[in-house]
Amino acid sequence: MKENSEDDKIYIVQRICTMAALVLLFVPSVNPARICGLIGKNISLFTAGTSYSSLCENFKRAFDKGWVGTLSMQVVFLSSLLICIGIILAGLGVCITLGSLKLKQLGNFITMAGGIISLISCYGLHWAAVDIQGTSKPDKVEPMMPQGIWYFIIFSVLIVFITIVLLIRTPKPEKEEKYSMESKYKLFFMLLPFIILCFVFCYLPLSGWRYAFFNYKAGDVLTGDKFVGFKWFIYLFKNESTRNDLIRVIKNTLAMSGLGLATSWCAMAFAIFLSEIKNVRFRRFVQTFTTIPNFISWVLVYAVAFSIFSTDGFLSSILIKLGILDKGVNFLMSSSHMWLKMLAWGMWKGLGWGAIIYIAAISGIDQQLYEAATVDGAGRFQRMWYITVPSLIPTFMVLLLLAIAGILSNGMDQYLVFENSYNTDYVTVLDLYVYKLGVNSGKIPLATVIGMAKSLISVVLLFSANSISKVIRKESII
Amino acid sequence: MKKKHKKRYKRTLQDWIFDICNHLGFLLFTLACIFPFYYILINTISDNNLVLKGSINFIPRGIHIKNYIALINVNDLGTAAIVTISRTIIGTALMVLASAFVGYLVTKKEVWARKFWYRFLIVTMYFNAGLIPWYLNMSMLGLTDHYLAYIIPTIVAPYNIILVKTYIESIPSELEESAKIDGASYFVIFRKIIWPLCKPILATIAIFGAVGNWNSFTDSLILMPNATELQTLQHKLYNYLRASTNLKSLMNSGSSTVGAAAMDNVLNAKTIKYTISMITIIPILMVYPFMQRYFEKGIMLGAVKG
Repeated sequence: MKENSEDDKIYIVQRICTMAALVLLFVPSVNPARICGLIGKNISLFTAGTSYSSLCENFKRAFDKGWVGTLSMQVVFLSSLLICIGIILAGLGVCITLGSLKLKQLGNFITMAGGIISLISCYGLHWAAVDIQGTSKPDKVEPMMPQGIWYFIIFSVLIVFITIVLLIRTPKPEKEEKYSMESKYKLFFMLLPFIILCFVFCYLPLSGWRYAFFNYKAGDVLTGDKFVGFKWFIYLFKNESTRNDLIRVIKNTLAMSGLGLATSWCAMAFAIFLSEIKNVRFRRFVQTFTTIPNFISWVLVYAVAFSIFSTDGFLSSILIKLGILDKGVNFLMSSSHMWLKMLAWGMWKGLGWGAIIYIAAISGIDQQLYEAATVDGAGRFQRMWYITVPSLIPTFMVLLLLAIAGILSNGMDQYLVFENSYNTDYVTVLDLYVYKLGVNSGKIPLATVIGMAKSLISVVLLFSANSISKVIRKESII
Repeated sequence: MKKKHKKRYKRTLQDWIFDICNHLGFLLFTLACIFPFYYILINTISDNNLVLKGSINFIPRGIHIKNYIALINVNDLGTAAIVTISRTIIGTALMVLASAFVGYLVTKKEVWARKFWYRFLIVTMYFNAGLIPWYLNMSMLGLTDHYLAYIIPTIVAPYNIILVKTYIESIPSELEESAKIDGASYFVIFRKIIWPLCKPILATIAIFGAVGNWNSFTDSLILMPNATELQTLQHKLYNYLRASTNLKSLMNSGSSTVGAAAMDNVLNAKTIKYTISMITIIPILMVYPFMQRYFEKGIMLGAVKG
């Protein structure tokens, strides 16, 4: 029994080592494959081992002039790939050791094999690093000894060593024992790939927030001397042009969201009035065709707008025919009433769809209420106002609270497609501003600062909305 | 009794006025929703010279489909279509499979630290790191200018996982338990029992996922700046709509001047934009009737949060 608990401790060390090695695969700054300055600073070992083209991105000249042999790069690629495979194998093996005795043995063998593979491949990288030092153009190729290789050697040796210890200590399983694992771990390992995917695409980007504290340009690598603390946060408010931009952008954002909030009752009204129509066919017809715009993208909405409002579009040609205009006018190029126009397009796209949830809620209202009200002499509008509206208010409140929580996130598609040089001052919302600042102008730290503030405020708003809902409705919305 | 009811409440003048206004209002809004599509359609199939003069407004004239055939000559529209269609099919299929499987797993109480992992997946609906960190992350993973950037990040869809989980929880657990007693493994239970029973909800998320994939545009815009062959139809359409009206810039540069002149009779910048818009809309309109059945299911189930 005592031995067992000691074994468990060794297993924990083994798992931690393997996990650490797995994580290191994805960290560009310890990439052991970066044996010369030509290899990108942002390439992690995993990228180096899986994509030969991104590994050799900058090598065209070096290959052509013969500064670097293709062989040594191929060795680098192959070694990186093998290290990745080895460490992933070790990871798998470590997972398997959670099972029965027989699985433990198998898992340890796999882990050991993985560790040995990555250890041998480390030598391959070392060979390539030595080989590349003999280049004829050291100032262009910048050969270097990758420091990261030591981490991988240390971890591989540790993994192999611990696994051997475990293999010796683990008693031999009986011949007839089966491979089996507790179902809680089995199910967890089925879930694990999805957890990893979720982590990589939803949690890993959070590490990008560090760019807000550095002097960073695309393609740079982050080093300690580029750390600037809260410089960008202060810059955002101190610098006059960004401050003015920001004020304008926030004004636009709040105006658009505010208009959206102020008209959010429209979907409810739409549903209520639609339910007043007694002809089922007509009702279905309306419902079918008003929902279509919701399913086309904003680009297509712009295509629609283009076909109607552009210089040779529908409206121009009609107005010319009526003699009101003599030449086509591109109505999309005007900057007047942009907020209202954007609201109108939002309504055109979303009103019919937004009404569906209310229509469903209306069909759930007890018909006896209406009959009773009719007997009491309530007219049509009274029934609508005193029965239908109050029954829809809970749904309305939930949607309203969620909309308030999302007040800073208008999305950028709509504004991106409708934006042009005339109206840009009125349609640039926060999301679009971040996109233009970061992707178009390459001011990554500044854009990150804004995005970060936006995310944090949004989360706070969401939780406030949730607690308001908990107090008022005794029910949470998230 | 019912007859009596109807007799007692005769429609008053007010009622008539209200009804007429109501019908009229909805009719107008509905027309506003469908007329643009109709307008684009008639302009793509009518005589191109008339279209250019702007005289096709309500009724198509001189119907032909040359515009659609001529699209073959438009720069790399074919690859864009292949990219869009393949990402829609592959992305949706993987998303549905993953949602079904994860939705099934998170209903299992035995999973190690189930509550934590479930929340770990679900919480991602409510926050995101922001556009720039997301972009830098993608480029760090080597997914910029890479086809897989369309597929892999969409596999885990928390909202759909909630939908499937809620649906599975409504299935009587006896079905599963009896299979378990018969010695079926988790995979077998999933394939033979859960999957067939979940088909309605899986169809719902498949259709919404497919439309989302077809419509997605920002990922192509941000992640594929250099790989023009990987840009989606929506992205191409965006470029064409915003491009100058110079037709030559839209066409293959390789075609001879004679061919280009002949082409001018068939196509002009206006019709080419309309035609591309139309082929981008048509698939949505085609699946739309199938989707309608799932509207309410999708929306109402979404209200039940797990």
